[in-house]
Amino acid sequence: MPSISINIILAFTAALLGMLMFRSHMMSSLLCLEGMMLSMFILSTLIILNMQFTTSFIMPILLLVFAACEAAIGLALLVTVSNIYGLDHIQNLNLLQC
Amino acid sequence: MKLPILTIIMTTIFTGTMLTMISSHWLLIWIGLEINMLSIIPILTKNQKPRSTEAATKYFLTQATASMLLMFTIVFNAMHSGQWTTTNIDPNNMIVSLTMIIALTMKLGMTPFHFWVPEVTQGVSLMTGMLLLTWQKLAPISIMMQMFTSINPIILLLIALMSVLVGGWGGLNQTQLRKILAYSSIAHMGWMMAILTFCPSLTMLNLLIYLMLTIIMFTMLNMNTNMTTLTLSNLWNKSPTITMMILISLLSLGGLPPLTGFLPKWIIIQELTKNNNIAMATVMAIMALLNLYFYMRLIYSTSLTLFPTPNNIKMKWQFQPKKRSLFLSPLIILSTLTLPLSPVLSTLN
Repeated sequence: MPSISINIILAFTAALLGMLMFRSHMMSSLLCLEGMMLSMFILSTLIILNMQFTTSFIMPILLLVFAACEAAIGLALLVTVSNIYGLDHIQNLNLLQC
Repeated sequence: MKLPILTIIMTTIFTGTMLTMISSHWLLIWIGLEINMLSIIPILTKNQKPRSTEAATKYFLTQATASMLLMFTIVFNAMHSGQWTTTNIDPNNMIVSLTMIIALTMKLGMTPFHFWVPEVTQGVSLMTGMLLLTWQKLAPISIMMQMFTSINPIILLLIALMSVLVGGWGGLNQTQLRKILAYSSIAHMGWMMAILTFCPSLTMLNLLIYLMLTIIMFTMLNMNTNMTTLTLSNLWNKSPTITMMILISLLSLGGLPPLTGFLPKWIIIQELTKNNNIAMATVMAIMALLNLYFYMRLIYSTSLTLFPTPNNIKMKWQFQPKKRSLFLSPLIILSTLTLPLSPVLSTLN
C-alpha cells in the first residue's frame, strides 16, 4: 500500500478514536466526525484519480454533500442541548440511564 | 407536527431505506443510510423535551460514527479490489470484513455496540420507538443479506451470541416497558444474525415475525399509553381484551411452542445443528429463557393477578378506544396462531 494511503488511513483512525473517547464537550466529537469525513474525502479522491475511475469522480462530492448535511444536524442538536443545559458537556446527558 | 411536514419526513425515511435496499453500488447504499438517519432525527425530537433531545443526540452520534466507518470500508474495499459492488467483497481482507461487521452491527444495535438502544428507545414516545426498532433495522439487514457470503462467520457468531446474552440479562432489571422491548430487540437481532452465514432466508423469516410482534406490542401499549409495569397492571380494569392480547403476544415474542414466535427459533436451532454448531444452539436456546422470564413477569402483573370471581371493585366504564390501531386484529392472529402453517415454508425456494 503506498505510504500516502497509510497516512490518510492513520488520520481517519485518529479522528475515529477522537470521536469515541471524548472528555467533556460534545463539540469535539462533532469536529472528529468532520475529520473522519475529510480524511475519507482525500483518500477517495486520491484513489479515484489514481485508478482513473472516471465515472466515480462524483463520489467525493456526494460524500461532501451528505457529510455537510450531517454536520448541520449535529450542530442543530448541539444548539438544542446547549439551550437546555447551558453547556454542551456530555455528562449532562444522564437522564436516560438504566 | 403539522401534517404536510410529517408526510415529507416520513416519505424521506421511506426513500432512504428503499434506496439502500434496491442498490448494488456501495455509494448509493451509504447515501440511503444517511438520508434515513438524517430524516429520523426530527421525528425523534418531535415532542420538545430534554429526554427526547438526549435520545436524539445519542442516536445521532452512534449512527454517524457507524456511517463513517462504513464509508471507510467502502473506500478501502475500492482501493483493494477496484470495484464498488456489494456482492464481491473479498472475505480474505481482514480490515474490510472486520470494519464492515462493526459498522453494520453498530447501526443495528448489537453487542458490543448496544448501549444506545435502551436509552434512545426510552427517551422517545411509543410510536417513535416502534419506528426506531422496526423500520430502522430493515436497511442494515438488507445490506448484510446482500453480502452474507463475504462475512467472517466466527466474528458474526460471536457478536450474535453476545447479543443474545446481553438481551437476556439486560432486560431483567427493567420496569420501563420501552427498555424491555429494546432489550428484546437486541436479543432478537442476535438470533437473526446467528443464522445469516448459514441460511439468510431464515434471517428474513425471523425478521418478519419479529417485526409483526414488535408492531403489535407497541400498538397495544399505545392504546392506553402504558409505559411502565405499574400502569400495565391496571390494564385489566380499562380494557380486558387488550390484557389478554398482551399475554398472548408476549408469550409469542418469548418463543413458546404453540405460538408463531416459536417458529423462527425452532428452525434456527435446526439449521445450526445441521451445521454442527450444537453448543451455540444450546446456549442460545437457554438464554432465550431469560427473555421469557421477564415477559412472564409482565404477564404475571398484568393478567395473572386478577380476582377469579366477580368482586366489589368498581369496573370502569369502557369507552371506545380513541387511538387508532391499524391492522391490530390481523397482525395478532398472524403473529400468534400461524405455527401450523410452517410446512408452507418448504414450498418456498
